[in-house]
Parts: sequence; C-alpha cells; structure tokens
Amino acid sequence: MTPYFSVIVDSFRAAFASRVLWIAFIAIWLLLAALAPVGFRLEYTTDFRAGDFYNGTRLKAMLAKGTVDPAAAEQPIGRLAAVLPDELSRQLKRVGEGDEVRIYLRVFADALNECLDDESWYSQEAWEDTLQFRELRELEALAEPIEPTLRRRRARLRIEAALPGVFEARSSQSVRLTYGGVDFPASFSTDRTQFLTLVNQYVLPVIIQWLMGFVLVFLGVLVTASMIPEMLQPGSLHLLLSKPVSRSLLLLSKFAGGCTFVSLCVTQLVVGLFLIAWLRLDIWNVRLLLCIPVSVFLFSVFYSVSTLAGLIWRSSILSIGVTCIFGSICLVVGVIGGLFDSLVTRPASIKHLEMVGETMIGSTRGGGLVYWDQDSRAWNEIFESNPLGADRVLPPVAVNENQLITARVRGGRFNPFGSGASDLLVMSRENGWDGEPSMRLPVSTTGLQLSGDRVVALSGSELASVSLDQVLDAVGSVTSPGTQVDRQDGASDRGSAKTGWMEKLSTMMGGATEGFESVLPKGISLDPPASLYMDSEGKFLIVYTRGRLLRFEPDQGSDRLWRQVSVRATEGEVSSRSWIAVSGKLLLLAREEMPLEIYDVVTLELIASCVLPDSISPVFVEGIFDGAGFLLGTSDGLLRRVTRQHARGELSEPLGSSEVECVCVDAAKKIAYVVHHVDQVDVINLNSFELIERQTPQLSGWRLVEKYLISPARFVTPQTGELGETIEAIVSGKSAMTVLDGPSAGEVIRYKLFRPIVSCTCFTIVVLVSSCLYFSRRDF
Amino acid sequence: MSQLHESLHSEMQNQSGAAVLDVQGLTKRYSGGVFKRNPIEALRGVDLKAGLGEVFGILGPNGAGKTTLIKVLLGVVKPTSGSAHLFGQSVGSVEARRRVGYLPESLRIDRHHTARSALAYYGRLSGMTSVAIAKRTEELLDLVGLSGRDREPVSRFSKGMYQRLGLAQALMHDPDLLILDEPTDGLDPVGRNGVRRVIETLREQGKTIFLNSHILQEVELVCTRVAILARGKIRGVGTVDELTQHLSSETYRINLESAEQFDRADNLQSIAQQIGIDHDSLLCRKRAEGIFELHASLSERSQLDSLVDCLRESKNSIQHLEKQRPSLEDLFMKLVEDHGDRAE
Repeated sequence: MTPYFSVIVDSFRAAFASRVLWIAFIAIWLLLAALAPVGFRLEYTTDFRAGDFYNGTRLKAMLAKGTVDPAAAEQPIGRLAAVLPDELSRQLKRVGEGDEVRIYLRVFADALNECLDDESWYSQEAWEDTLQFRELRELEALAEPIEPTLRRRRARLRIEAALPGVFEARSSQSVRLTYGGVDFPASFSTDRTQFLTLVNQYVLPVIIQWLMGFVLVFLGVLVTASMIPEMLQPGSLHLLLSKPVSRSLLLLSKFAGGCTFVSLCVTQLVVGLFLIAWLRLDIWNVRLLLCIPVSVFLFSVFYSVSTLAGLIWRSSILSIGVTCIFGSICLVVGVIGGLFDSLVTRPASIKHLEMVGETMIGSTRGGGLVYWDQDSRAWNEIFESNPLGADRVLPPVAVNENQLITARVRGGRFNPFGSGASDLLVMSRENGWDGEPSMRLPVSTTGLQLSGDRVVALSGSELASVSLDQVLDAVGSVTSPGTQVDRQDGASDRGSAKTGWMEKLSTMMGGATEGFESVLPKGISLDPPASLYMDSEGKFLIVYTRGRLLRFEPDQGSDRLWRQVSVRATEGEVSSRSWIAVSGKLLLLAREEMPLEIYDVVTLELIASCVLPDSISPVFVEGIFDGAGFLLGTSDGLLRRVTRQHARGELSEPLGSSEVECVCVDAAKKIAYVVHHVDQVDVINLNSFELIERQTPQLSGWRLVEKYLISPARFVTPQTGELGETIEAIVSGKSAMTVLDGPSAGEVIRYKLFRPIVSCTCFTIVVLVSSCLYFSRRDF
Repeated sequence: MSQLHESLHSEMQNQSGAAVLDVQGLTKRYSGGVFKRNPIEALRGVDLKAGLGEVFGILGPNGAGKTTLIKVLLGVVKPTSGSAHLFGQSVGSVEARRRVGYLPESLRIDRHHTARSALAYYGRLSGMTSVAIAKRTEELLDLVGLSGRDREPVSRFSKGMYQRLGLAQALMHDPDLLILDEPTDGLDPVGRNGVRRVIETLREQGKTIFLNSHILQEVELVCTRVAILARGKIRGVGTVDELTQHLSSETYRINLESAEQFDRADNLQSIAQQIGIDHDSLLCRKRAEGIFELHASLSERSQLDSLVDCLRESKNSIQHLEKQRPSLEDLFMKLVEDHGDRAE
C-alpha cells in the first residue's frame, strides 16, 4: 500500500470514527426504511380527474346543451346530463340560458365518476352514432357479466365517446402507488412507460438532487472542514512532513480522504434507492449508480474551497464560512444566469419561423412576433416579447409573398383553451407588418394552416376553415381597437337579441365562428395529444390522434368538408406526444418513446421504421421535398436527416449547428432555414446540406450584458446548481425534458450535461493546484 | 570571550566520522509580510556536522533557533541561504527524509488510532511493507512498554504513553538519523530513564541521534557532542569536557564565618576592588547566622591568594575552600549571557 493510499484509508477510518457519520447513516437508513414500503400496481383507468379534461369549456357547453336542448334529450349528452347531480344540473341550465357560471372541473369529475357505477344513462341506440375506439368495441363485445373494474372502464369509455373533444387521451391502465400494501388515494393515469419516465426523470433525480446536492454536501462540508486545519497542527503536520512523502500528493490524499465521508453516505443512499426502485417499483436503472461519483464530485468542488481556506487560515470556522460564501456566490451567479435565461434569452428564442417572400418572420417564446431586417441585421419586433406575459402568438402563416396571417391570444399561455375568441390578424409588408384585424377565430384556436385557398384553424379538438378571400376581404371591417383582445365567452354579446343561446353554446363547444366552418366528419375529433399535416394545396389532411393515423380528403361536391379515406391503428401508447411530416409519398410519424415510423402517405401502410437512441426524443419534424426525406429536430438540440432505405429508416449524423430551435423548409428553393442559438439562422442547401449563409443578429442591450458579462461569470463560476441537471440526465438517460407550453406545444429544456461538469472540473483543478502550490512552498 | 568562541569554533572542524548531518552557513529569515511584523532572522550562518553513531545535543534558550534548525533539517521550512544535507542529500528531498525518524515536541496522533494502527499508519507513510510493519510493531511496542495497551484508542493514553508511542513511531522504519525534540518532556523520572536507555541502545546500534532538550543534565548524560545555539548562531560545539575546559575562569567555593554582614553589596564590591576583579565575579549566599558561602570566579591563581588574604584581613574565618569543576550549565549560561550582552 502506498503512503498516499494509506492516507486515504486512514481518512475512511477517521470517518467511521466520526459520530456525525453514524448519525448521517442512521438518518439515511431511516429514510430508506420509510421509502421501502412504496410499491405500485396497475389498474384500469376508470375514475375521472380534473386533469383529464382537455377542454372544460366544451364540456360545460355540451352538458349544458344536453340539459336545456329538448332535441338532445335522447342523445348521449342529454342522457348524461339527465343523471347529473341536481346542483350541477341547475348550474348547467343557467349556462344554457346564457349566464356566466363558473363550474370547477373537479365538480364535473365527481359527477361523471358517479355515473361510472350506475349506467342507467346508457342506451345502445343513443351511442350508436358515437365514435368508438377499439378498446371500447372490445369491451362492448364482452359477454355479461363482466368484472366491476372492466365495467367501470367501459362506462368511462362510453362517457368519453359521448363527449368527443373534451378529454385528453389517457392510457387504458393507470399506476396506483401503494404503501405497505395499502393503496394511495390517487392513481396516475399513465402507462408503465410513462410511470418509468416520471420516476426516472423527476422523482429520483429530485430526491437525489436535494438529499445529495444540498443536505449531504452541506453536512459534508461541516464535518470535513476541520480535517485540513487539524492536519496543520504543529505536532501533526511536522510529523507528516518528516515522512518521505510529497507534500502535494499528501494534500491531495487528504483531499480524497475528505471526500470519503460523503462517498460513504452517498453510496448507501443511492444503492438503497436503486434497490427500492428495483425491488419495489420494478425499475432497473443502473444509471442511478452513476449518481454516486457525480454527487461526490459535487462535494469535491466545495471541499476544494474548504481545503484552500483551511490551508490559508488554519481554522475550521473560517473554512466553513468561506465555503458557504463560495456556495452563495455560485447560487447568486446561477440565479442571475437563470433569470437572464428566462427573462432575456428564452423570450427572444424563435420557436417558429415562416418565410413570407424573402422575409423571415418568427414567433418567439416570449409571445412576440419579429421579422428580420436585412439592412440592420436585426430582428425587429412586431409584437413585443414579454417574458412574464401570458400572451401567445399563433405561429404565423404566409398566405402570399407579402402577407401573413396570425393571431394574438391574450392570456393564452395560461388559458389555452379559454372561452375567448381572438381576431385573425392579417399583416402586410407594405404597411410595415402592422397587424390588421380580420375575422374572429373559433374559440381556443391554437394553430393556423393554409390549405389551398382556405385558411384552417385548429381550435381545441376541431378543425374549421374559411376561404382566404373571405379573410382578406374582412380586413378593416372590424374596426374596434380592442379586436386583438379576447372577447371573453362572448360577454360583450350577452343580452344581445341576435345571439341565441344555442349559437353561444355552439361557440363554446368550439364550433364555427363568423364564417369558419367545421371540416371534420361527424364524430371525428382531434383529442390531444394530436398532430396533423395539411397539404398546402389542400389535397389531403393527415391526422394522428388516439393512436390512429387518419387521412382525409376533400369531400366531392364540397369545398369545405373532408371525408376520411383511410385509417391506420398504430402500436404504442396513445397519450404519447407526436409529430408528423410528409415528404412526397412518405409520411413520418415521430412519437415520444417510440421508433420513428415511415408510412405511405396514401395507404397509410407502414413502410419503414427507425429506432432513436434512448437519450434523445423528437422535438419537431419537417418534410424536405419530394421523397428526399425529413429533417428531425431532437431533444439534444441537434438536427438530423431521416431517410428511407428500403424497409428501414436511416438517421443521419447531426447536421450543422447545435441548439437548434426550429426549421423552416422552402421546398421550392430546396433550402432550409435553421434557427439555432436563440435567434441565429443558418440557410442550408437541402441538396448538399451545406451552409449557404448565416444570419447573426445584432444583440439588444440585455443580450449583450448576457453575452459579455453574465456568460463569462457563469463560465468562471462553477455551475454547481446545474450539476443537478447532470444528475437528472444521468438518471433519466435523456438529454432533455419537455415542459408543456400550451395545449399541444411543449418546450424542450435541454439538460446541461457537460457544461457544469467542465466548469466544476476546471474550477476544482485550479483550486487544488493552488492549494498544492501553497502547501508545497509555504514554511510551516 | 572572543578567545573562547574561536577555540570552540575550531572544534567544529575536528568532528570525527562520516557526516550524517552537514549544515553550512545556514540562514533562515522569516519575512514579515505586508501586514505583519518585521522580518525575523532565526538562523544566522549556522555550521554543524554530526557523524555516524553520534548523539548530538542542541542546546539554546527559547527563541535561539533550535526548532527552526530542526524544521530545516526535516524540510518543513526552507532555508534562506546556506546548505543543509542529510546523508549527502539536500534537506527537503524525499530521499533525505527516508532515513530520518522524528519525534516532535508536541506530538498529535489522531484520536481514532490505537497504538498499533498509528504505528502501521506512520510505517506506511515511511514506505514500509505490511510484513515489515507487523514485525516492527511488536518489537517497538515491547521496547517502549506499550505491548499490553496496543489496541486501546490513543485518546485514553497518558502523556507518557503518548510520548513513548511517538518514540516508537519515530523508530518504526529503523531510521539512521533520529531527531528527537524534547523526548522526555512530560515524562516522569522512570519514563525519562527509559528514554535515555533507548537512546543509549540506539547509540550502541550506531544510529545518529539529534537531540533537542532543555534538560541540560539529560544532554550531559547521553550526548557525545553538544552544540549551543543562541540568537541563531552556534556558540560552541564539542563534547561537554571540550566545551567546559575552554572556560577562562575557575570557580571556587569558600565557606566562612563572619561577625559582620558579609554579604552586603558594598562589602563584596570592596573585596573585588582590592583583588582587581569584576564585582560580578563574587557571589555570596548566607547559609546561617554568621555563616556565608562565597562563589568566586577567578582567572588567575594570584587572585585566589589575594582573596584569601583579603578575607583574613577582614577577620573572617575560612572554614572550607574548594575548586569547582565548570558544568555544562555554567558554560551554557556563560555563552548565552555573553551573547546577550552583545545582542542588538
């Protein structure tokens, strides 16, 4: 055993002799003992919860209609409304009569849950016209009597079928946590895969991050702060220095030994969590064990500061104090950096880019709308980005070389399904992209598309279209300055003789508004999470919802209605988020936790598939041009090309820049505009995938501060806080997490995996080298 | 006193045996720093040599630079100028320390250790193998008398046991040079005797021992050669006999009866003037009523005759007259005081 190894071993002995270590051990054992009884079991998803409702306004309107409309009495909504509790019925009646009544979603959930046990409301005839998915059809086919759980599941599916467009697509099975064999009161309406994601990506990292990143590091600093000052006591130090050992290595050995305290605690905690996850939750996650070195590494950053302070001042108290000050500096720099991220950088990030002629128009994460000014080489604001605002701008859609359409939804981020309706805005180059109000959009419109000569609005789970000419003609006809503001629930129209209650309910249900007409066949709704692709020439529409791919084509003899021409059920979880894109005759379906699948766009037959690496998941897809493949944005911030090679899809190496935000493809010119690093744009040739030019905008004042002050400060200061993200990335095995940002959009937050490791490593090395130099050259 | 210094320094050139320890022109200045006091010159051109098998004692008052000298030898502090070598290797090098065992003055051994685990730990730091450690531990525990207490935590040890453990750890890797800083500090007479026996045993084994001690009697008993250090300079080096024989004055003890108050200062000053010596050379203590003990440091025999004549003329009765051998303490005090007079 080398002398230095013996110093480390001696530190282990010293740690074991420490009472604090044993107190920490006991605390860890108690925690693990408390967590050990946690288990789970799978059960059918039956009970409704408030979170299951995608569109509460529509639910309220449908049940109100069922309550007050005599024609709906024998329809599913009428039969359901008839068995609702009296109080709720009274409220719904008032809604139907035009009153503004607030009804909490949990009240609906409770009322519908009561319907699960008593199915007197069900009538086979009434439900004949509803859209019934495979699971419901299979349950309907079961011979009576069926198990109570299956009966309740069937009742839930019947209710969902009666109220299309109201519910989020949920897994058929839920995970119910148990504690010592006793059920927790609530269950998770997730399938096993999502449960794994939940535990691996959120629960375990949070436990580890807090317990190890904070408690154990702080405790470790308190306990180990005295090690160096004690070593520097004359009777101890002179004896050590009289031995034939190198001072630097002696110090490093002491440092490594000091890390033993935390490593002993962390090892027990992580191994304990790993065993609980494995044995109790059936989650085999070996990556969890990697948290041991990461946590010890995190501690070593702080301990290096404590070591240097201990060398200089030879005082435990000062070591602790200096380390706490250092931690505070890290925290402050991290918080300031985070604030700049959320208040300066993120709001300026372009999440959608559209080309209007030669002009780039982008909508930002801060709810703003910007256009690129080539002369000043800067993004000019049409709508100001507001980091704290709740406004939302619908992704702009170019309608010709000089005009685009969009809408600004007030309070939209937190009220995405709000009952308010916004005005469609038409913006023209000639008037400086100033928005001019046009027609009112259907309630809760979340996206616009141009299909041939019609503008299609995705509102809730409905699609409604209007002719482009109508939209352009309507410009200027709405003169009120408040036209950009939601007209909440038609409140301005309340009492109007012209507005009947039925029209109002129809509006609340997301029905047609001022010329917009529903285009989907009866019974078809885009239950979220859904995705769609609309042919720009209006020849077809592809929709993915509830695990099914559907192709629609314009109905003969009608310029607005679409008919379903083909359908394909897919494997996998129906509640996974999805993206679809079309390239020539190929359709790419990308889903979370699932392989990429390429289908024939006409027959919807599966042609090829491609497995994504575990660590990445799709963020967006774009078709390139006729059959040349797809551009796939992934959660690691990179852009890849997906092509079909016979029966399998091929994923290319990353193309171009990192930190890609979005892509806009100009199929005619065969170029792509790739937005990356917040708001820089690379123009790429889609034949050669070579960079044609890069547009780097002039930065605003705060962005300059961020670039030249905050970023260097973050670079110099070890980002200990961000090591928590490293732990999350390690435990989850993912490079990013998705935070829902609206009803169908999600914001991908990439884990900072390497930056904190590099910054902490560099810092620790610098501090340790300084300590070694000090210790080697100083007289003691 | 310049004669004394010259003769003592000349002894340095006549040291016998191969130089285990070789210090030449060693100076050490502690810089004051920006906010600290003025620089301190702890060593001012120290020259020393110690040969194989010597027990070399270093003496000096507090602040003389002894600890600094030991720290330089161990490489704990770096010399400002001059050179110091152990076994031909420059001090501070790992090789130089490989053959050195050290017992610090105020030894600290971590409380989680037992005597056995401490010896193993320091043995490993000295580069010993596990087998060698196991063998050597038993020998040394026997040697220092800790055999029965070897598995007790050192936190329960008395000061004496602690010091014995320290001696054992210093001997663990069988060093050729042992630097002992106050090895008997805090020990009872039995313990001190035990340490002395260990030192004698090691000397017989041919080990070189560098001993720093305040206990002059101990140094006198065990050291083959002694160096006296004061204010950063070596004031004398040699065997105890060599050092004391160079004292220029001889001390006489005279017991006498006197009817007067003989020990009065003016009386002693008068006697000193009569015989032509410095008044400090006469020291008188009253032993009983009318009985006095006079110590006289005289450089010439004629001064003794004059003193006796003077005493008798003053009607004093001389009961006993004895020539005293100069002790190490006399030499130490003489050198230190002499230097102190000249100190800046």
